[in-house]
Amino acid sequence: MSSPDPAPDPALDPALDPGTVEIVRRRLEAIAEEMQGIMLRSAVSPIVREANDASASLFLPDGTVLAQSVSLPLLLGCLVPAVARLTAAFPVATMRPGDVYLMNDPYDGGTHIPDVSLLVPVFAPDGEERPIGLAATILHHQDMGGLTPGSVPTAATEIFQEGLRLPPLRLARGGETDAQILRIIACNTRTPDAFAWDLDAQIAACRTGAARLAALAGKLGTDRLGAVLAALVRRAEQATRAAIRAMPDGTWHYADALDNDGVDLDRPVRIAVAVTIAGDGMTIDFAGSAPQVRGPINAVPAGVMAGAYFALRAVTGADIPNNGGCFRPLHLRLPEGSVVNPRPPAAVNARTATVKILTNAILGALAQAVPDRVPAANSGLSVIMALSGRRPDGSTFVLTEAVQGGSGGSASGPGVGAVSTDIGNTMNQPVEAMETDAPVRVHRLALRRGSGGAGRHPGGDGVVREYEVLRGPLTLTFRGERHDHRARGAMGGGDGLPSEAWILRADGAREPIRSKLTTVLHAGDRLLMATAGAGGWGPVAGDTAADPAANPSEAPTA
Amino acid sequence: MAHAPDQGIEIGIDIGGTFTDAVCRAPDGTLRLLKVPSTPDDPARAVATALARLAPEGGAGIARFLHGTTVATNAILEGRAARTGLITTAGFEDVLAIGRMTRASNYDLVFGPQTPVAFVPAERRLGVPERLDAEGRVVLPLDEAAVAAAARQLAAQGVEAVAIVFLFAFLDPVHERRARAVVREACPGMAVSLSSEVDPAIREYERSCATVFDAGLKPVLDRYLGRIEHILRDHGVPAPLQVMHSRGGLLGAAAARARPIRLTLSGPSAAAIGAAAVLREAGCPDGVSIDVGGTSADVALIAGGAPVLRDDGSVAGFPVRVPTADVLAIAAGGGSIAWIDTAGGLRVGPQSAGAAPGPACYRRGGEQPTVLDASVVLGLVDPASFAGGTLALDPAAAEAAIRRVVAEPLGLGVAEAAEAIHRIANAAMAEAVRQVTVARGSDPRGWPLVPAGGGGGLHAAAIAEELGLRLIVVPAAPGVLAASGLLAAPLEHDVSQGFFRAIGELLPGMLREAIAALRARCAEAMAREGVPPEAVETEIRAAASFLGQGHTLDVPVPLDAADGAADGAADGAEDPGEAIAAGFREAHRRAYGHTRDAPVRLVSLRVIQRRHPAPAPVPPAAPATRRPRGERRIRLGGVEMAAVVVERASLAPGEALHGPAIVEQADTTLLVPPGWRVLARDSHLSPLRMERQE
Repeated sequence: MSSPDPAPDPALDPALDPGTVEIVRRRLEAIAEEMQGIMLRSAVSPIVREANDASASLFLPDGTVLAQSVSLPLLLGCLVPAVARLTAAFPVATMRPGDVYLMNDPYDGGTHIPDVSLLVPVFAPDGEERPIGLAATILHHQDMGGLTPGSVPTAATEIFQEGLRLPPLRLARGGETDAQILRIIACNTRTPDAFAWDLDAQIAACRTGAARLAALAGKLGTDRLGAVLAALVRRAEQATRAAIRAMPDGTWHYADALDNDGVDLDRPVRIAVAVTIAGDGMTIDFAGSAPQVRGPINAVPAGVMAGAYFALRAVTGADIPNNGGCFRPLHLRLPEGSVVNPRPPAAVNARTATVKILTNAILGALAQAVPDRVPAANSGLSVIMALSGRRPDGSTFVLTEAVQGGSGGSASGPGVGAVSTDIGNTMNQPVEAMETDAPVRVHRLALRRGSGGAGRHPGGDGVVREYEVLRGPLTLTFRGERHDHRARGAMGGGDGLPSEAWILRADGAREPIRSKLTTVLHAGDRLLMATAGAGGWGPVAGDTAADPAANPSEAPTA
Repeated sequence: MAHAPDQGIEIGIDIGGTFTDAVCRAPDGTLRLLKVPSTPDDPARAVATALARLAPEGGAGIARFLHGTTVATNAILEGRAARTGLITTAGFEDVLAIGRMTRASNYDLVFGPQTPVAFVPAERRLGVPERLDAEGRVVLPLDEAAVAAAARQLAAQGVEAVAIVFLFAFLDPVHERRARAVVREACPGMAVSLSSEVDPAIREYERSCATVFDAGLKPVLDRYLGRIEHILRDHGVPAPLQVMHSRGGLLGAAAARARPIRLTLSGPSAAAIGAAAVLREAGCPDGVSIDVGGTSADVALIAGGAPVLRDDGSVAGFPVRVPTADVLAIAAGGGSIAWIDTAGGLRVGPQSAGAAPGPACYRRGGEQPTVLDASVVLGLVDPASFAGGTLALDPAAAEAAIRRVVAEPLGLGVAEAAEAIHRIANAAMAEAVRQVTVARGSDPRGWPLVPAGGGGGLHAAAIAEELGLRLIVVPAAPGVLAASGLLAAPLEHDVSQGFFRAIGELLPGMLREAIAALRARCAEAMAREGVPPEAVETEIRAAASFLGQGHTLDVPVPLDAADGAADGAADGAEDPGEAIAAGFREAHRRAYGHTRDAPVRLVSLRVIQRRHPAPAPVPPAAPATRRPRGERRIRLGGVEMAAVVVERASLAPGEALHGPAIVEQADTTLLVPPGWRVLARDSHLSPLRMERQE
């Protein structure tokens, strides 16, 4: 199973009968899903079990994705650079059964420090010496050290404040785990048990994936499987190119901005994209985007790729097999030293906000090319709220929650309120789980009525949440977005309302939050947040065009 | 624990999407099977038709009348539930609309509501002041006047059913129960469901979903079951109506009315029970069944003689955490359509031609090639004797559709294309079986496969070969598995309680008391069904996780560990908490491949009590019919071959039939490929064994 070329003629190659190809495709997807299931069901970090913040993939030895689990789209393709760097540091030909490799360094193929990538080589059961494939997982660990619990410090200005960097490392050789590596990590995380646990879940998932792919090779024969895999990748590329070719040629621009970088609170951070469709290729150029910033919202290329892959897949069609072939027609231009391709040691932990905004910018550009397929702007945020403190027994807890806005109105109907969109698809924390895990009381959880932009099809609403601290002190890390820049309407629809947030101190003081903040809360203090609404679609016809029954954002109120 | 044989006729009737199936067992064990067309506009009408045909002389001799129904699920899917309101903790009226903020499909840019907002829109979701904390303590007393006002406001909107969902009610139902009393006083006749009774477990959105559906189904099921009871009275049937619930047991009609959300998987769980009964008859406690219909295939796992259960199911795509038979439904059936994707790959399903227009070979306007069309082209199905000869199939139409849509675009011959379609359908079904076995840590290779439905027998051998199974057990009547399952199902009640506490924080005495209280509640329910206490079999299960995990695993609680409470002393019996923790750690290793000696959280406890029906009498042997055997050209594995065609009823006792062969009966076709052989039992009314030879 080597490189996918030269392409054999399907008519001449008996391995490529359509039944076998489709059966292998289904098998690969099922293997990736099984790997994903092992991580989700057995991991202990809330962000994995509730936010689905983990992903599994199978690769060819050359680093081409074969299949991906259905997971958070933010992780789409994130394993690609990680596997490329791991196999550059440890050539595939030198890998042995029982090996395990891992890394997390954002400046060496990673995304941000909590995301640890893990790789297990797959060997055919017939005893061939070289791996026939690679099984890999990426999982957001609860804490990897750094300035604040959870390893996503909003005030970080250098990566050295964000936690422990792991370059490509060999964690196990021939089944023997290098305990030294684990000891170093254990000394650098606030939650060593959770780390060890979730790493076990990743290893178990990779080993299961490797065993399943090996069994498939045993059944079909390594060479025949290799021919089928190459065909699947080639076909995905051809189908994606065909879909791009069917779109109009041209260049479309869109610009948006993040409120600030969390450090310089008065300076918005511009994101500019130019999407060019030429023939069967697509180029996304970020020229004009802000230079890298002091705060942690710089996005390394892995995250930007995830946003671009999402946009491409969403407009080219879901029935194309999801593998590395889909990504070949896409070219990214990421200006060096910019907020979408920073130089070390820029801080990068809070890149989700940037990837959300840039994904929506790509979609905003594509909406001009294929307006029937793309809605008005989604709220474009995922407010990350982390509360941490000590339990009565002295141990540290970290409670992280991602709070969403709504989806944009579209040609076919109103947007949906309070839902994870585009690169996100994370669950919120149930009120009952949150109050069980942390000394807080939630007073309100509601749709923010009327926050979605007006229109023939209004934008989806944001939400309102109000929390009270019962026992302090707790450290609050708040990463908001869209306080200053609204989600835009489309085709004459209105913009969504911006986000707002306050801290209501126990003594009655009311402190507005300017999008991003780290502070300490004491008993009786409250956090009140209202997330932005999404853009509306089409002009409002008269005064009563919006049909409240069709929209979960029902009747607007204050 | 079986009770005395029921002296009388037993009838099971299961309503499916296309047909309503009935099985009637006489006191001597003789079975009669019947299929009548379903009547979706009034499902009870088909029941009346079936009953009239099975008991034309009147129903006086009918000792048991058992029913499986899709009414509950269809009412939710088709928006025909009662107008429902929700009374909840003030400040949380939108929990049902917000849900968990996720969407079902990752790559969709445009999508609709992902939560059941249409079931209970904003104007029918009302908050009242009250609050419990995470320890279950009251921090804000219930405002009863607000509850009464909310109830009246809902009634004024025409609401017939009210769900009451308060935060942390699974820890203490005091406010929910009081609120129910207030609602009943303010609005007599209003149906009410409490979250603490429907789904007593943590996570308010999921609990809300189950509770609003339960409430909205109450008026619907009350009317429907009333209709059936009326039909039974009209026919002079003395037996009480019993209904199949989703866990795979029967409930009296009164209990079914009280908790209709338990009926959402009534039919598939009856089929799983039917498969368990077939396996028992074949001497196998464990196995997998696959019921292949026109649009979907249902896969169920049987362990220890009963269906494996799950408690994280869904209805209409919304979470409903009520224990159900773990039936995995996939979109692969005889009507699944073959098509070419944009990358030039051949796909099968998920679109189905259904019963109308149906596969191309039906000649009812269907032009797309389907899995059944492929079976016809490959010679696996006899066009003349399909469905007992009631529907003549047109092989030329099947060929033409496959040629136009699949063979020509891919440059294949028609037979090659048909075989590719057939193999992909096999693989989809094998993948589903793999998902419920291998992917959950169990090795199915020693297990038998039970094929059912019209199509199960055509795909069973290929599924078995793919997964390394060696034995296939074919039911006597594969087409009415759910209806026969009704006759084999136990009468069963269960009650549960939520905890969400580390087991180390729970004293053994507390756990034993909780178990004893649950047993008492369950025993009351069994007594109301007229079951004497000595006939009751008890099972105790715990849902547990490691601290921090979001998913639970289900573990048995040994009765002797639970029983320490009976005399108030542990008497050296195992601590139930430790038994749960140890059982959970082992279950975790089996399911996920890793475990550790870490603290375990008890999420909920459940007590189940049941009484099994009397063993079925052995029917008198029917003489084998001596029909001439035919031969047909079939194509398998790229090779054309001659297959012997045999009618099932003509197999002589003890006869071995080697593949390639085809065994036909009115409701299904069994493909016996080369390398397999069929062993006829002493009677064709027993399950047929098909074994792989090496």
